[in-house]
Amino acid sequence: MTYQEFAVRAMEYAQSIGCASSELYYANGESFEVNANGGEIDRYSASREAGVSIRVSNNGREGYAYSERIDEPEKLVDHAADNARCVESDDEHPMQTKQAYQDIVRADSALKNMTEFERIALTKRLEQVCLALDPRVKRVVYCTAGYDSGAVVMENSLGLHAERSTNSSYLYVMPSVDDGVELQTGFAFRMGLDAADAEGCAKEAVEDALGKLGASPVDSGYYRVLLKPFAMSDLLSAFAQMFSADAAQKGLSLLAGKEGETIASKLVTIWDDPFDPVAPRAFDGEGTPCAKKAVIEKGALKTLLHNLKTAKKAGVESTGNANRRSAASAVGVSPTVFRVETGAHSYEELLVQLGTGLVITELEGLHAGVDEVSGDFSLKAAGFLVENGAIIRPVSNITVAGNFVSMMKDVVAVGNDLRFGMPQGGYFGSPSILVSGLAVAGN
Amino acid sequence: MNPKGVCPTDLISEATAFAVLREAQKSGADYAELFLEDNESTRIEMIDGKVESANYARICGAGVRVLLGTQSAYAYCADINEQSLMNTARAAAAALGEAKYTPNGEIRLSNKRFITPVRQRFDTICNADRIEVMRTGARVIKSASPEVTQAVVRYLDQVQRVTIVNTDGLFVTDERPRTRIYLQAVAMNGSEAQTGFEGPGCCRGFEAYRDVIDVEKYAKSTANMAVTMLHAPECPAGNLPVVIDGGFGGVIFHEACGHSLEATAVGRNNSVFCGKLNTKIAADCVSAVDDGTLPGEWGSINVDDEGGKPQRNLLIENGILKSYLIDKLGSRRMGMPSTGSSRRQGYMFAPTSRMTNTFICAGTDDDEEMISGMAEGLFAKKMGGGSVNPPTGEFNFSVAEGYWVKNGKIVSPVRGATLIGKGSEVLLKIDRVGKHMWMEPGMCGSLSGSVPTNVGQARIRVSGMTIGGKGGTIE
Repeated sequence: MTYQEFAVRAMEYAQSIGCASSELYYANGESFEVNANGGEIDRYSASREAGVSIRVSNNGREGYAYSERIDEPEKLVDHAADNARCVESDDEHPMQTKQAYQDIVRADSALKNMTEFERIALTKRLEQVCLALDPRVKRVVYCTAGYDSGAVVMENSLGLHAERSTNSSYLYVMPSVDDGVELQTGFAFRMGLDAADAEGCAKEAVEDALGKLGASPVDSGYYRVLLKPFAMSDLLSAFAQMFSADAAQKGLSLLAGKEGETIASKLVTIWDDPFDPVAPRAFDGEGTPCAKKAVIEKGALKTLLHNLKTAKKAGVESTGNANRRSAASAVGVSPTVFRVETGAHSYEELLVQLGTGLVITELEGLHAGVDEVSGDFSLKAAGFLVENGAIIRPVSNITVAGNFVSMMKDVVAVGNDLRFGMPQGGYFGSPSILVSGLAVAGN
Repeated sequence: MNPKGVCPTDLISEATAFAVLREAQKSGADYAELFLEDNESTRIEMIDGKVESANYARICGAGVRVLLGTQSAYAYCADINEQSLMNTARAAAAALGEAKYTPNGEIRLSNKRFITPVRQRFDTICNADRIEVMRTGARVIKSASPEVTQAVVRYLDQVQRVTIVNTDGLFVTDERPRTRIYLQAVAMNGSEAQTGFEGPGCCRGFEAYRDVIDVEKYAKSTANMAVTMLHAPECPAGNLPVVIDGGFGGVIFHEACGHSLEATAVGRNNSVFCGKLNTKIAADCVSAVDDGTLPGEWGSINVDDEGGKPQRNLLIENGILKSYLIDKLGSRRMGMPSTGSSRRQGYMFAPTSRMTNTFICAGTDDDEEMISGMAEGLFAKKMGGGSVNPPTGEFNFSVAEGYWVKNGKIVSPVRGATLIGKGSEVLLKIDRVGKHMWMEPGMCGSLSGSVPTNVGQARIRVSGMTIGGKGGTIE
């Protein structure tokens, strides 16, 4: 059965059993990933996938069903209708109607036009460059290049039709260095247009690893902290749910009802920008046209992020932030491209402003050491000890702890060195951020 | 059962499977393997006692893996018709390039069929049955305290049917039912919020909610955790003794040691425990096991994801390292037999060495004495999650429910604690292991995706660990 036949039969059947509306979300894709180790292909993966999600609405209640077998549309609709019947929440989730969308020009990512042979050669080169950069580089723990392409088609019985195709490329590496005393690992990645930059990626990763040699903890205490872009963007990603109207309406966000209030330092502006070149898109996970907006503007919370369901409940317009984590997932809410607006200062100037304190370059354990509801975090960290604006030595085996909401009030300077973290289900970027104090545990 | 035909539980005929494997070996692979999966799951979410959403998903696809020495390639597709499988086999074969090995002779098949015994199959119950169980949890959470402002209950059941065929002649099918209920309580006062959670799960049918999972008990514990933590001051920071309770406390072993014993790390010389077999890596009181054979447990498997037989692997015996966790590819790299430890989330992942049910075995120490004999330190009653960097062995994990101990007595609950350290060091600092071991479920993420694993231990004490937090002071 072709997908077109499946779609027609599914929507007709949904109507025939009394569903008020029905929607199909079809996603397919191909992906390629290769990992080099010791000059050989160590892991290699190629794939082709496709799946369809059916969403039906009846009496204001909706149900979902997903399948990777494009057969028996009636059975899948029955599953969705059965799921709709058991929903008890009174919150109506309307489906989107026919919309017009902006034209999005998205540059092809770096690996798109490479042959498979060239992609493999790139991966091997990444490993070789790492090993050649410094005699202390003993091994490369992993070294990976990948390319994904895919398409999404959404259509529903209210006339919605939206489709897009995307492609993405990535390259990442973790070298390990050993100076005879200790072993450290470093990490770097490249994505999109830069994903073929093996040299830059290798250099950054090796510098990261070498910079950690000789690291030790600092004494426990309260420190001024300069969070480098990856540390800050990881925190932003971990606490993104706070900005979701869905979380707020469920009593799971401290930002509920705070629209219009000052919740952060005047230096802080955070954009949700679906048109950012890093991952531009015209419509969200339920077909609503995307829009760029400040979520925090000069410290004031301007809006939470909405899909059609949360917007209806709040009596506002959707902000175009409906999201499906995968085709199999229900419609939720998430940022599109979420980033902290850059400030005026270079990293070097921020070091001087820091004076004495810590630079935090990386945070670990983000899936465990953060509480999205309370905003509390306590995370393993690494970075550098700074005295009088000069880096003294690397620091490791410490934790930094604080509260995301109060930390945003404690921002005293913002850098101009914006970078996006490695995409893991979303795009989060930040420049370096200087905060007046975080609790550090070490010796 | 007709050996040449297709059984109702099979996802492929033998003839087709052979054709696919032959195609996969054409570029010279010395081993080829086909993994087919048909996975049906139901997820329901309840917020504040009302069903918020219900979702059904059927994941169906196949992966072909080829090995040539220690080189591997994997290709997969969301489609299990013969044409797609042949294309997938060709994609995997192409990755090995031009090698010229011709598989000789017939593959001689041995058939094995597994099915997890279930009294109440998930396809015989309806959403109303599931919702009734969830409602009990939500009701108990909300009625526990006026400070509990929100109850979130998530329910999952799934049946994963797999068929694994390889050129060693194995043709294995397995049916794996699993269910889990995740209970979360939120307690709020003014601008502060704290959460509590429990997530019991097992490898059984729906009868689990009658026989082994006491939802009311877990719901109460969830609510108590949230309310207790709402009134807890920030945890002091520093390097002090830590008592870690049994059950999910075993996440410390999972992170501090388990991942570094996987062939994924050891076979590439990326583990602190490389070359340490039969040497002392832990205190004498520590013995640890990974056992995928325990009936009905969340991390158990009838057969591993390359068709191997799971076993009870004694990892550490009285402080001495006895075994790693090894899959087929790891076995080739390390020159050691595989330990039935090959796992994957599903067809989208090549399998690799993973944990199943992993725990520190019960010891001989008294639970109360561990606390009463401690001058000052932390009692970590309930752990959150954690992670590790295997090459360095540095780990971190969060404490979901902690208590501060002074002069042998619990003086206050504390919030926001994180424990960090190096696996190789912390294992040597365990100075007490209690008598009662139990396990709790989690999802473990690694190279081959997210797989269900149990972590476990008896209550233990570590003589010194870095306790991170906002650095409160406890009078």
